[in-house]
Amino acid sequence: MKRRQFIKNSSLASTLFFVPSFVKAFEKIAIEGLGYKKLVIIQLSGGNDGLNTVIPYKNDLYYKLRPTISIKENKVIKLNDTIGLHPSLTPLKKLYDQGLLAIVNNVGYPNPNRSHFRSTDIWQTASDSSEYIQSGWVGRYLDAFGKNYYNAIEIDDSLSLMMKGENISGIATKSASRLYSASQDPFFKKILSYQNDEHLSEHNLGYLYKTMIAAESSAKHIFFNAKKVVKSNDYPNNGFANQLKTMAQFINSGMDTKVFYSSLGGFDTHSNQNNKQKVLLEMYAESMEAFVRDLKQQNTFKDTLILTFTEFGRRVQQNSSNGTDHGAANNVFIIGDNLKKQGLYNDLASLSDLDANGDIKYEIDFRTIYATILKKWLQVDDKIILNKSFEQLDFI
Amino acid sequence: MNKKHILHLYWRAGFGVLPKESMELEKQSKQFIVNDLFKKSLNAKPLSVDTSKLDTYTIESFKEDKMARQAFLNLNGEKFNEYNYAWIDRLNYSNQILRERMTLFWANHFVCRDRNIYHLTLYNNALRENALGNFRDFVKVISKEASMIKYLDTRKNSKRSPNENFSRELLELFTLGVGNYSEQDIKEGARAFTGYKYDEKDGSFIFNEKAHDGKNKTFLNKQGAFYGDDIIDIILEQEQCAKFICEKIYKYFVNDKLVDSHVSEMVAVFYPDYNIETLMRYVFTSNWFYNDENIGTKIKSPIELLVGMNKVVPMEFKEKKDYLKIQKLLGQFLLDPPNVAGWKGGKGWIDTNSLMFRLKLPQLLLANTVLDIKEKGEFTESYKTLYKKTKTKSTIDVTPDWNYFKENFETISFNQMKENLIQCALNDGTEIFLESINKYNKKDIVIQMMSLPEYQLC
Repeated sequence: MKRRQFIKNSSLASTLFFVPSFVKAFEKIAIEGLGYKKLVIIQLSGGNDGLNTVIPYKNDLYYKLRPTISIKENKVIKLNDTIGLHPSLTPLKKLYDQGLLAIVNNVGYPNPNRSHFRSTDIWQTASDSSEYIQSGWVGRYLDAFGKNYYNAIEIDDSLSLMMKGENISGIATKSASRLYSASQDPFFKKILSYQNDEHLSEHNLGYLYKTMIAAESSAKHIFFNAKKVVKSNDYPNNGFANQLKTMAQFINSGMDTKVFYSSLGGFDTHSNQNNKQKVLLEMYAESMEAFVRDLKQQNTFKDTLILTFTEFGRRVQQNSSNGTDHGAANNVFIIGDNLKKQGLYNDLASLSDLDANGDIKYEIDFRTIYATILKKWLQVDDKIILNKSFEQLDFI
Repeated sequence: MNKKHILHLYWRAGFGVLPKESMELEKQSKQFIVNDLFKKSLNAKPLSVDTSKLDTYTIESFKEDKMARQAFLNLNGEKFNEYNYAWIDRLNYSNQILRERMTLFWANHFVCRDRNIYHLTLYNNALRENALGNFRDFVKVISKEASMIKYLDTRKNSKRSPNENFSRELLELFTLGVGNYSEQDIKEGARAFTGYKYDEKDGSFIFNEKAHDGKNKTFLNKQGAFYGDDIIDIILEQEQCAKFICEKIYKYFVNDKLVDSHVSEMVAVFYPDYNIETLMRYVFTSNWFYNDENIGTKIKSPIELLVGMNKVVPMEFKEKKDYLKIQKLLGQFLLDPPNVAGWKGGKGWIDTNSLMFRLKLPQLLLANTVLDIKEKGEFTESYKTLYKKTKTKSTIDVTPDWNYFKENFETISFNQMKENLIQCALNDGTEIFLESINKYNKKDIVIQMMSLPEYQLC
């Protein structure tokens, strides 16, 4: 590009709020959608105690190993003759009764790692326990099938590994308007307005400029779409509910985002577990109920599948501080309108046949759940993303 | 040596250089300048924080008083943070820039995570001590550090129940790289590292002969009743080990795209002696190190970014915790790597959020603008904080030392400033943009230059 001509263009910029043509070109790619199906992923961070969440209330061993923290039979919300839910989970029981909930038990992976960090990595990258992958499974979905950064959104201020691909990553935001105003920073805009596409071909510098452009156009896309929808006020008043409220706003706006991710922390209950878990599960269940209601009202629930996981379960035997230590396999919740297998997907694990650490053995590899969702729900080739072939389950 | 090459060398072997120093160095030869970097880094200076308050606790005192344990843990947590600040301070102000740069590199090679302030101090100083030494000794030292024995479960590795964690990562991440050994080698290697433990009192290495598996092992086609050190020697006989390390050094110090002929030259220097200093001298004096395609093309890590900024405008944080917040938001909390593979680096630092934050950082730190994002929560976060209404907006109270900046940049022209701050070639658009900014207010200039995407590269 000739310099003089460029100066002419850029002087135009200040008067007409000039957007360089290559930014426009970048935005156009996004218009072809990826289909309507949306996936919501929730992590109960810290390791939720699955055994006090989905409770074998007729199992003597359960009461024997947990003398002070077990949930008494008369408190349990019964699902059948032997299994029930934690008393805080009444809203989930309603979903269960409507056939909108599937509980997959004993989910984990071989050679379980009991560090929060490592096990979260394993779940987020879909790696083996002995394998280190530096991109997330949702990020790799974006790499292979995504068209734009906002095809995956994390409701937070910074991006988790799960959302990072090799070439493209999701967007993190708690508020469309804050993200938008950050991207409209005058200095930021100004630098972009002075660029032509010369930079884009350069290796690392090109990558920075592309990312900047993506930030700008994604923030705009998210903001102007979200604006079309009024947020529902029918949510409990806590941080997690707020995140789901924002997520519902995004989903209801019809923006071209396929995967949403959010997490609720605090589940690391080494001591005085019962009080803490009661509050947290209540927060989770009530917020989820509001979220589902919101989506149903806007007729988007039928196209949304919600997966809830936690990085590990907890030790079957309680510790001496009325808490539980880090364990292994755990349950996963799947909420949606199109479940093929509703309710309890499989039986609870035996409490007499534990691993060497006294933890529940895994029966279902968590990656079979990912593979199933990728193939049957998002309708893409799961092997490209998971680098391996996993069995397909039949919950959807 | 010309200015451009001096700046390049100082950005890769250190964290940039002030105009005054680079002008002085221009009179010198490459040989002299590189030599000078090594000379200044000659003897490692250990880094530590004051632990006297912790030293009074004993295991017995925990038994007597349940609260004591919690108090100890809280204090230890504070010391962990303090060590983080101290390390960054060291990076900011040490004159042993090369040694500190190498220490930072090795910390992301021999990746380890430990909260125990005593052990992590030992570990961090082992990295510093061996940063320019012999790689063979280095691996052996690392295998015997308390932090590593904990982190990769060597203490759980015994004759009766072997644990392969350390053996696997030793081969995969520390020495040979994936695909250069078999699963059987991992198993046999693990048997050789049985019996490793450390002294609870001072963290020193203890070899427990009773827990050691003294039987024959077959490792990388060799047979013998090997000990851990023997395993390391056998691994280092493989030229692949030298290649693996040279590639990593090339990616970190030269370019994230490998040039095979350059790496081969490095391997020829490094193998079989494994002298790190010799290797680094070779890299910094080679002609290709100064090739245009290697200058200003590396994406700065968050720490490189922060330390580099501090070199130009030193900053004092009123609340030290804000320094942790910034590291978390940028994605590199020193002492807290994501896993044993370490930070991915390069493009891995950049996503739309981290990039926007990076570009805002100079305004946030040097012009006191408002921060309206929060770092991620903790696994152990108290559930009360989840209910608490926290303000999203906060300011970070930083006092920039503008006098220091003025002393160093007062007589420096706009173009010299540009040369000093931006390593990569500017394209027309950015050049025109820079022409448009007010050239009289140096504070504004430095903030705007640091806010350019080009400043993210070194």
